Amino acid sequence: MWLEILSEILKLTVFAGLALAGALAILIWKRDLKTKVSYLRFFVQAAAMAALFLLFSYTNELLYVLIVIILLTLFLGRLFCGWLCPLGLYLDLMAVFRKALKIRYWNLPDKLNKLLNKLRYLLLAFFVALPFVLEKIEPWQWSLAKFLMGPFKPVSVLLGPVEPLIIPWESRLKFYGLNLSYPYASVIAFYSGESFALANMFLFIALTLASSFVVRRFWCRFCPTGVSFAVLNRFRGFRWIPLLRLNKVEEKCPKCGICKRVCPVQVLDVYERKGGDIAPSMCMLCLRCVEMCPYEECLKLNMAGRTLFKSRNWLEPSKIE
Amino acid sequence: MEKGFGEKKYMVELSEREVEDLRNSVKATSLKLMDEYIERMKKTWPNRPKIMEYFDEVAKFFGTREKEILKAKEEGRKVIGYTCMFAPIELILAADAIPVRVSSGIYDTTKLGNRIVPVEVCPVVRSTIGVGMIGFSPHLEVSDALITPLTCDGMAKLSEILSDRKPVWTVCPPRLKDSEQSMRFWREELQSVKAKIEKLTGTKITAKKLKTAIETMHRATRAFRRLQELRRGAPVIMGRDAMLVNQTSAWDDIERWTKKTEELCSELEKRRQEKILACAPDTPRIMIAGSPALWPDNWKLPNLIEEANPQGVIVADEFCSGDRFLFDPVGVDEWTMDDMFNAVAERYLLPSTCPCFTSEDGNVDRVNWLKARIEERRVDGVVYHVFRGCMLYAMEYTRIKKALDKINVPVYYLDTDYTREDVGQIKTRVEAFLEMLKSRVEF
Repeated sequence: MWLEILSEILKLTVFAGLALAGALAILIWKRDLKTKVSYLRFFVQAAAMAALFLLFSYTNELLYVLIVIILLTLFLGRLFCGWLCPLGLYLDLMAVFRKALKIRYWNLPDKLNKLLNKLRYLLLAFFVALPFVLEKIEPWQWSLAKFLMGPFKPVSVLLGPVEPLIIPWESRLKFYGLNLSYPYASVIAFYSGESFALANMFLFIALTLASSFVVRRFWCRFCPTGVSFAVLNRFRGFRWIPLLRLNKVEEKCPKCGICKRVCPVQVLDVYERKGGDIAPSMCMLCLRCVEMCPYEECLKLNMAGRTLFKSRNWLEPSKIE
Repeated sequence: MEKGFGEKKYMVELSEREVEDLRNSVKATSLKLMDEYIERMKKTWPNRPKIMEYFDEVAKFFGTREKEILKAKEEGRKVIGYTCMFAPIELILAADAIPVRVSSGIYDTTKLGNRIVPVEVCPVVRSTIGVGMIGFSPHLEVSDALITPLTCDGMAKLSEILSDRKPVWTVCPPRLKDSEQSMRFWREELQSVKAKIEKLTGTKITAKKLKTAIETMHRATRAFRRLQELRRGAPVIMGRDAMLVNQTSAWDDIERWTKKTEELCSELEKRRQEKILACAPDTPRIMIAGSPALWPDNWKLPNLIEEANPQGVIVADEFCSGDRFLFDPVGVDEWTMDDMFNAVAERYLLPSTCPCFTSEDGNVDRVNWLKARIEERRVDGVVYHVFRGCMLYAMEYTRIKKALDKINVPVYYLDTDYTREDVGQIKTRVEAFLEMLKSRVEF
């Protein structure tokens, strides 16, 4: 009895905290602290996690959630990855932890980074195609196929990183009646033997966190959910698709290299491209480059022709100061 | 003069008496000239703010600032000179040393420089050599060591020649900036300079100290940019005065300079609101690009432009001693030693628009820089200022001219030397150019 009450209280506090975070995010936006995008992003990520929990408690049709995410990436690029994804939040928190310890990150070689970026399409193709292939070979006759068929539904794999910290259904990780979860935890548990499920889960959690401690947002560099249809805009006829674009004014850019260095997924396009609209498929629109660019109106975030956020002379004293 | 500083590889042996005589005569002319130029600046801008007197004082060589530096030296602080803006000021400040820029703008010493290098060499180099020979420049004399970036040919040999007088630490910026291997090389160069600075000062550059230094320079850049932004609209400050403020940052105590510049900016902002202008709002707005005009003697061209009839006002300059000097901030992502150091290294190499760089697209960064300034400061015409012997700026002229012709901005090529003899001739040419701009403005 008292456990249930405690779990209710815990839930309530978590929610109160998230609501507060959301309110803070709005406040920051209102008070024109737009330069502090990095802070704002944390609040949005936390609020998004709460929203996802709510969403999951109302619907079991996860497929629709996935479709919404994919449609979002089609029009908004990987905005989801940068601003809403719960796994992204954990990885960012690891980076904050690393910063506090004053340890420097490693940069992946650019070639490897690009290769990992391409790997995500391969993974996506694999997960989407697998069920169709497996269906053909009549899984009830083949144990391996049956085994793979289980959680290897594209829905569960692709929605992996979207799982919030607390989920509204039964999970293996329980804490005072709260169903805790971690991205891909249920998938891993399914494949592991009964006695190893927990161990494997923790191993996975440790691995992802440790890797992103060393390399910024390591998982996001090949995560299949983060597939972005920004690739499409390379082809004529599809150039209108991305609504959110980074725009660079060539004349204002002396190529100081700050945008290249601060990018958490090591996107080179912003630095290398001469100017105009930049919508690379690797970019997750975290806007760190726009925030750090010291040249006024050199980098801009445009949404359907309107400028939402632009780089400014961040040395200027802000109005509140 | 320091004695026993190794064998003199370049320097001419001068008797002490000769040095003394030369120094006195050069000093007399220079001091007179500096006073005269300041007077002329006051005359052109009748309601010059009072705060400008502070910068006048700092600008006067052998004045209060030099005494201050000498006092700091007695207290054990080191002075590190640099010849060019590639020297990492943040690292010098982090080691609690005083950075001073030593490249010289004194005309009379070029003749001394002629004894060592041919007259075809860039006059900044010759003048600096001359200054070194007689120990004249207050900044060169007080420095304990020099950081000499090997940007152009002149600077490369200047470094060698000055090594007869002072310990010289070379840093070599790569000719190509936009590649990973260049950046790696440049980082190594700065690492070695950092080690040398640490050895000389006996202070280890820790992350905390470097952070403080970067933040100090951020504040300086903020004041610097604020001043440049005030040159955008209707002129509230004369170009020469802004240039003087920009240049004094190279040898003044940077924190005090920041404070004073902010004060000046506040004053100017007030004037902007009250519409107290420094000159008529339809005055042709000039940008000077090319070889740096260094205080004191080389105020020749700015003087001519702002005292000409019709008058022009310099709203922008592309000098490494002027608008470009503190314009770019160090953008630190994470305040770890590595990232701070990388940020410092990148800040000195990548945004630089020095013509010593080359690239397959024809140093497009420099063209972009000029275009951006022209657009934001509404420049009417560009005076392309080149010293005879300054090959890199002279050779890039055609490129710049073509690019500026496309956006319909008149460019005027002016080559000159460290000499006062061509003033009359240049005056006629500059006035003709201004006349032309004036008619364009009216049209």
